[in-house]
Amino acid sequence: MRPIEIPTFQPRMKVLNREQALAIHTAALEILEKTGIKMEHPTVLEALAGEGCRVSGRDWVKIPAYLAEEALHSAPRQIALYDQQGNKSMPLTHENPFYGTGSDATFTFDMETGERRRSVLSDVANYARLVDGLENIAFCMSMANPVDVPVIEDIYLQVFAEMVKNTNKPIVFIADSGKDIARIYEIACLVAGGEELLQQKPFLLNYSEAISPLRFPQNVMERLIFCAEKKLPICLPSGSNAGGGSPVTLAGAMALGIAENLAGLVIHQLFGKGSPFLFGPNVSVLDMKSTVVSYGCPEWSLTQAALADMRDELYGLPIWAFAGASDAKVMDAQAGAESMFSIITAMLSRCNLIHDVGFLEYGSTSSLEMVTMANELVAMSRFFVGGIPVNDNTLALDAIERVASGEPGSIFLMDDHTFEHFMEAQFLPTLLDRSRYDSWEQSGALDMYGRCNKEAKKILATHQVNAKSDVVLEEIDRLLRR
Amino acid sequence: MAEFNALTESVIKGDIKSAVAETQKALETGQDIQSIIDDGLIRAMDDVGERFSKGQIFVPQMLRSAKTMQECMKLIQPHFKEGDVKAKGKVVIGTVKGDLHDIGKNLVSMMLEGAGFTIIDLGVDVNPEAFVEKVKETEADIMGMSALLSTTMPAMRHTIDALKEAGIRDQVKVMIGGAPVTDDFAREIKADAYAPDAGSAVIQTKKLLGLS
Ligand code: B12
Repeated sequence: MRPIEIPTFQPRMKVLNREQALAIHTAALEILEKTGIKMEHPTVLEALAGEGCRVSGRDWVKIPAYLAEEALHSAPRQIALYDQQGNKSMPLTHENPFYGTGSDATFTFDMETGERRRSVLSDVANYARLVDGLENIAFCMSMANPVDVPVIEDIYLQVFAEMVKNTNKPIVFIADSGKDIARIYEIACLVAGGEELLQQKPFLLNYSEAISPLRFPQNVMERLIFCAEKKLPICLPSGSNAGGGSPVTLAGAMALGIAENLAGLVIHQLFGKGSPFLFGPNVSVLDMKSTVVSYGCPEWSLTQAALADMRDELYGLPIWAFAGASDAKVMDAQAGAESMFSIITAMLSRCNLIHDVGFLEYGSTSSLEMVTMANELVAMSRFFVGGIPVNDNTLALDAIERVASGEPGSIFLMDDHTFEHFMEAQFLPTLLDRSRYDSWEQSGALDMYGRCNKEAKKILATHQVNAKSDVVLEEIDRLLRR
Repeated sequence: MAEFNALTESVIKGDIKSAVAETQKALETGQDIQSIIDDGLIRAMDDVGERFSKGQIFVPQMLRSAKTMQECMKLIQPHFKEGDVKAKGKVVIGTVKGDLHDIGKNLVSMMLEGAGFTIIDLGVDVNPEAFVEKVKETEADIMGMSALLSTTMPAMRHTIDALKEAGIRDQVKVMIGGAPVTDDFAREIKADAYAPDAGSAVIQTKKLLGLS
C-alpha cells in the first residue's frame, strides 16, 4: 500500500475571530440603516427609494440591512481578469494574491538622473513595460499623473491608452466621470476585439472611490452605474483612513469603510445584478504628526488582513488591498522594511488584488526601482507561503543514508538528490545580494537601489512587449484625437 | 501675565472644564478682555503650535487645545464692545472645483481658527465665482485654496483670474496648498503664499497679515 500523502500546510495569517468579524459587519449594517449615506446622484437616489430605502432631506438615504445581504448574494464570488491576449491571468478567488502598481503619483524618480521630478506621459509607458517584463507583478496601473497631457480633462484616457500600448497584462484604471470612462471602454473593446469578448474576458478593472464619511458623489456614481451595466469589474474603496475619513480606532474605521462598500455594492447590483464587484475599503491611518495618510504603516496591513478574514467568514467576495509601498522619501532601508512588511502580510492573509506596489512618499512619488525590488520580495514571500512539503522525497532519508554511509568525501552537495531538487527546494534570489564581500565589491559595490536601478534599465532596454495590431493602434489614436 | 498662567496651562492641556472656569474667573474679576485673549488664550496656542512643530505633541492634542480656546471665546464674546477686540483676520477657504478632498483643508481651517482667525469654509468642489462672491461679501483678508489632484491645480489659476476679473485681486491675499502643490507653482500662478501643512499655514497667514 502506498503511504497516504501528507498535505502541505501553507502558512496563513488570521487576525480576527468570527465574533469580531460579525461584530464589525453588524456595525457596518447599523451605519447603513441608522446613519445612512449622502447620495448625490438623483437617479440612484430614486432607485434606492424604489427598493425600500428611506430618503430624508434632499439626498440623505438609509439602507435596510437586507438589501446589503441580498447584494452580497448576487455579486459573483470570483472575478477572473484576463490579460489583453485573452488568457486567464488573474483568477481572483480567495486563495490567490496578485500584486500590481499604483495610480496617480505626482512625482517619479528619474531612472537616469536619480532626480525626483514631475511625472510625464512617457513614465506611464515605462512603468507599463516594466510591469510587463516582471514575472511577479500581475497587473498594471498608471503610476503617474503626467503633467504633459495635451488636454487635462482627458488625462485618464491618455494614460489608459499609454498602458494599453505598453503592456498586455491586466489594467486597473482610473476615470473621472461617465464621459471618459465611456471612451476608455471603447479602447478596451478595440483591444479585446469587441464588447462581447471584453465582457467574457475582461482585462480591466475600474478603481473608483466613495468619499468617507458616507458621501457618494454624482461622477463616482456615473462610473459605478456604467461598470454595473457593462459588467466591467469595479472596486469602490473609500478612504476611510483611521483618524482622517473615519474614527481613529481600527474597528470603527473598518466598519465605516465596509458600510460605504456595502452601500456601493447595493447600488451596483441594482444596476447590474451579478456584475463583478471587488470588495474592500482602504483603511490606513492619518499620521498624527505629519498629517499624511500613511502608505507604510502596519495598520493598513492589519485592516486588510482583517478584511480577508471577513471575506472568509462572511462575504466570499474577492478583496482589494495594497502593498509594496512606503512613506520613505527615497528608496532606502525604510522603504525596504515597509514594502516587505506589507507584501508578506498581504500574502499571508491571502489578499486578492494588491495595488500600490512601488510607491514612495505616501503615494506622491513612484519608483521603477521599488517595483523591481517588489518583484523579488513577492517571489520571496511566495516561497515562504509555499510551506514545507513533507514526503519521502523531501525527507530524503535515502540521501542521508547515502551520505552518512558513503565513502569518505561523499557530501550532500555532490548527491543526485541535491542536483535534482535544489531549484525548488531553495529560494534563489537574483537582486537580494548574498555574494561574498570581495565579489560584491568587484561587481561595483552596488546597494539594493543600485542593483534594482540596473535591472529596471535592463528590462526596459531589452523586454519586448507583444505589440497590438496596427489597426488597433490606429483606431486608438483616432479615438484619442476625437 | 502671570495671572493667566492657570488659563494658559488648561488650554495647553486641552482641559476644557478648567479653562472655561478660569476664563469665567478672569471675566468676573474684571480683567481686560484683550488681555485675556492675548496673554491667556493666544499665548497658550502659540506654545501649543511650537510644541507641535517640534514634534512634542500630536495633532489631536493640538486640536483639543484649539477647541478649548474656542469654548473660552464663546464665554468672552458677549462681553465684546465695539472696538474692544481687534479681529485678527478673515479667511475664506475651500477645495477648488473638481476636487473633493477635504481632510487637509479642514485641518488647515481648524488650525487657523485655533490661532484666532475667522474662517469661512466654502467646502469642496468650489467654483471660482463662489470664491469671488464670498471674498467680496465678507471682505476677507485671505483666500485659501486646497487642491489634492494635479488635474484640479489649474482651477487655482482660474480662481485667481476670476479675482482679477472682479477687480478685487489686490484686496485679498491668496494662499494655496495640498499635496501636489509646490512653492514653484504658487509663484507661477502668482499666489501670495504656499504652505505644505497646517502648521505652516498658520505661520504664512500671520506673515501675510503682518502679524509676525
Ligand atoms: C484620503 C484620500 C482620498 C479620499 C478623500 C476623502 C476626503 N474626505 O478628503 C478619497 C478616497 C475620496 C479620494 C478620492 C480620490 N483621490 Co485621493 N487621496 C487620498 C490620500 C490617501 C490622502 C489625502 C489626505 O486626506 N491626506 C491627509 C491630509 C491631512 O493631508 P493633505 O490633504 O495633504 O493636507 C495637508 C497639506 O497638503 C496642506 N494643505 C491642504 N490643503 C491646503 C490648503 C491651504 C490653503 C494650505 C495653505 C495648505 C493646505 O495642509 C494639510 C494639513 O497638514 C492621498 C494620498 C496621500 N497620501 O496624500 C490620495 C490622492 C491625493 N488621491 C488621488 C487620486 C488620484 C484620487 C482619485 C482621482 C482616485 C479615484 N480612483 O477616483 C479620487 C478623486 C476624487 C476627487 N474628485 O477629488 C491622488 C492624486 C494624484 C494627483 N497628483 O493628482 C493621491 C495623491 C493618491 C495617489 N497617489 O494616487 N482620495
